[in-house]
Amino acid sequence: MHGKTRVASNQSLTVPPALEMRGISKRFPGVVALDRVDFSVRGGEIHSLIGQNGAGKSTLMNILSGVYPPDEGQILIDGKAVTIGHPREALRRGIGTVYQELSLLPNLSVADNIFLGREAGNGFVIDERVIVDRARAVLDLLGETAIDVTARARNLPLAQQQIVEIAKVLSHEPRILILDEPTAPLAAEETRRLFAILHELKTRGLAIIFISHRFQEIVAHCDRGTILRNGRLVLTLPLAGVTEEELAERMIGQQVEGCYRTEDQTRPDSAEVLLEVNGLSVGDRVHDVSFALRRGEIIGVTGLLGAGQNELARALFGIAPKAAGTIRRRGREVRIGSPAEAIDQGICLLTEHRKQEGLFPDLSVKENMTLPSLGVFRRGGVFLDNGRERDAVRRFIDALHIVVRSAGSRVRTLSGGNQQKVILARWLMRDLEVLIFIEPTRGIDVGAKAEIYGDLVRLAGEGKGIIVVSTELPEILGLSDRILVMHGGRLARVVEREAATEEGLLATIQGGHADGV
Amino acid sequence: MASDWGSRVDRGGRVAAEGATIVGDHPSGARAAGERSPLSLASALAGGLSGVVVVVALALVFGLTSPYFLTPDNAFNILRQMSVIGVVGIGATLVILIGGIDLSVGSVALLTGGFTGTLILNYGVNPWLAIVAGLAAAAFVGLVNGTLVELLQISPVIVTLGTLIVVRGIGQAILWLNNSWVYVEDPLFAYIAAERWFFLPVSAALMFILYLIVSMVMTQTSFGRAVYAIGNNQRAAVLCGLPVNRVKVLVYMLGGLFAGIGGLLVAARTGVVNPTAGLGLEFQVITAVVLGGTSLRDGIGRVEKTLVGTAILAMVLNYLTIRGVPDTWQTSVTGLMILAAVVLDRLLRRTREG
Repeated sequence: MHGKTRVASNQSLTVPPALEMRGISKRFPGVVALDRVDFSVRGGEIHSLIGQNGAGKSTLMNILSGVYPPDEGQILIDGKAVTIGHPREALRRGIGTVYQELSLLPNLSVADNIFLGREAGNGFVIDERVIVDRARAVLDLLGETAIDVTARARNLPLAQQQIVEIAKVLSHEPRILILDEPTAPLAAEETRRLFAILHELKTRGLAIIFISHRFQEIVAHCDRGTILRNGRLVLTLPLAGVTEEELAERMIGQQVEGCYRTEDQTRPDSAEVLLEVNGLSVGDRVHDVSFALRRGEIIGVTGLLGAGQNELARALFGIAPKAAGTIRRRGREVRIGSPAEAIDQGICLLTEHRKQEGLFPDLSVKENMTLPSLGVFRRGGVFLDNGRERDAVRRFIDALHIVVRSAGSRVRTLSGGNQQKVILARWLMRDLEVLIFIEPTRGIDVGAKAEIYGDLVRLAGEGKGIIVVSTELPEILGLSDRILVMHGGRLARVVEREAATEEGLLATIQGGHADGV
Repeated sequence: MASDWGSRVDRGGRVAAEGATIVGDHPSGARAAGERSPLSLASALAGGLSGVVVVVALALVFGLTSPYFLTPDNAFNILRQMSVIGVVGIGATLVILIGGIDLSVGSVALLTGGFTGTLILNYGVNPWLAIVAGLAAAAFVGLVNGTLVELLQISPVIVTLGTLIVVRGIGQAILWLNNSWVYVEDPLFAYIAAERWFFLPVSAALMFILYLIVSMVMTQTSFGRAVYAIGNNQRAAVLCGLPVNRVKVLVYMLGGLFAGIGGLLVAARTGVVNPTAGLGLEFQVITAVVLGGTSLRDGIGRVEKTLVGTAILAMVLNYLTIRGVPDTWQTSVTGLMILAAVVLDRLLRRTREG
């Protein structure tokens, strides 16, 4: 609030910004997530934080909201250096975060959700009326008079839940508001309403940090933008008059072109069809998707977060329930109801959740690699042949350049890139024909990325069929023979590699229209 | 089959080897961040070596403070005492490795002893056959435990608390057929109680043999690998195509089976099965497993460690007995040991994860 009046009286040069982060660095095992990043936001502005997945946006915001401390650097609020050791401390210092995942408790009322943990009353008995009134007041401020504060959270439509989520954060009266992809689940009209609210909050002097992958929203509604790439600050710029294309260009920057496919590596059109998907629907997330994967081909699947591409991949591996449609392997219709069945059909999946769904962190590299192939190493039916197992593991460690002290090292101690290669080796050892990757290089440093791209290209050259699901456009453009663009759970467009351009894809990803480039 | 698989791997290996020439230099190859293992010293100490050190240290301290403790007779006592907890601890370790818990082992021990004894005493069944029947009953309880826990996703604490009560009731009902006491006077059982193998009481020798076998199974077979994989990351195990439910149910069956063997050893040692047989055994067994250093989460641990934990527990209980500490206090000491072990487990977990 003060910020605005002061800006109005033309003292903006002397008034410190509401938030300033100076020289922030953060390293995780194997990855430099942030490298001396400067970031500042003024009161009364909507500031967009822009970057691809893995650029460091989330890390920066996690540091700001007290999830973990920076390794180096300073955080200043209104010009005063502060430390933020815990999310509660962030809230106390006036930093409120609306996370991408909704955090409402479905069985509590809207009012109870908003004031969860801060119930009014005498300490024993909660005074429900006071809470209801105060919740009403907060929502009124947002211009949301239609929401029944006594309704259970789960009975509200998604868009209203999102508003309640924002109300919950605003009830703490923050001065800095972080919104992490708030528009991803919203339809156009709901998005418009959300921005109306944000503009209102802005005029009241809040510093708003807005994260989104939709450039259209960013250029239309944000005052300034800060672009991150690979953990480094690219620049901070005023967004007035900037086009979506310029922004995309700045965000993507120079790429590791060398390791992508070259023209002569593309597959012949006559190659055998390894996998054919017809009219596939998955829950309410994927509708009526059809495509065919040929031997030696890399298909890229992209779309906005939540456009259904991940569920599509998961359904092919039997971990998302297929609602309709058929899957054929080499011409024969197959049933894939579990990962075991998928593997039997020669299909494997490397998910984006490497830690939760891929690794056995406390088991050795060897044990991680050979688990699905143990049948091979049996000697006389029961016991495993350790020597042969170790030899096979060593071959893959060498071939994929996995940096590891020994085959017995715990996978927990490896860098992200090497962990991903261990999982890749796991499936190569099993010699499956169809390899599906979701975000294969998320959280992996640039060098290891290049190696993994090289591995994928080589594997396609050797006759595997590969599906790469990714939200990183350069990755999709660099690797794919064909690109499937998903929008709202549907296949919006199929682009051949020769016809694909960054701008064209972006337009389809965001708008879903199947025409024009 | 085997050769078919073999060729697949070879093909994979060759595929990869060719690739090496294409990839050539690997820019990030030198990056070895995170190679420093946070678990090195602390867990190595806590795991293998330190257990044995504690056993030796306890033996020295107890031997110095009690003239009776280090005598051969008492050593045999400790070994006999160890054998029941130790054998039941094998199954309990596996159950804990997959993230479960089995509270019903004491009741299963009673059921197996009572059932086997009754078959021999009342029906004149061949003792070997009776033993097989008793162990089948034990494994069946494990099957029920595993099925309820896995297929219906009920907490193992609740499920096995239920079977603890139900199975103890059934065991006591069987004993009622004989006025609550079954005397096991079969020569086979007498042999186990009286004889020695390799200078060891038969029950202790059996325990060591079982540890040897299970230890090999855990490290050298796909089943053992599957147990560790499920314990360390169940979700990833499912995505590797492992038959996770089947393995977990099988582990609960083994938990029941080893509890049944424990029950037979109790019957052999005391020559009688009474309604209190196996009472509280579950806590002693869990204490031994945790003292040995098997983690209650994450599937980290080894069966051999439980042998060390059993030795520590048996020595402490034995020492308290020969120093004339009443039984009631021994219960509290067991409780304190389990708490200490759990606290240690948590602290180690922190060091491990940094």
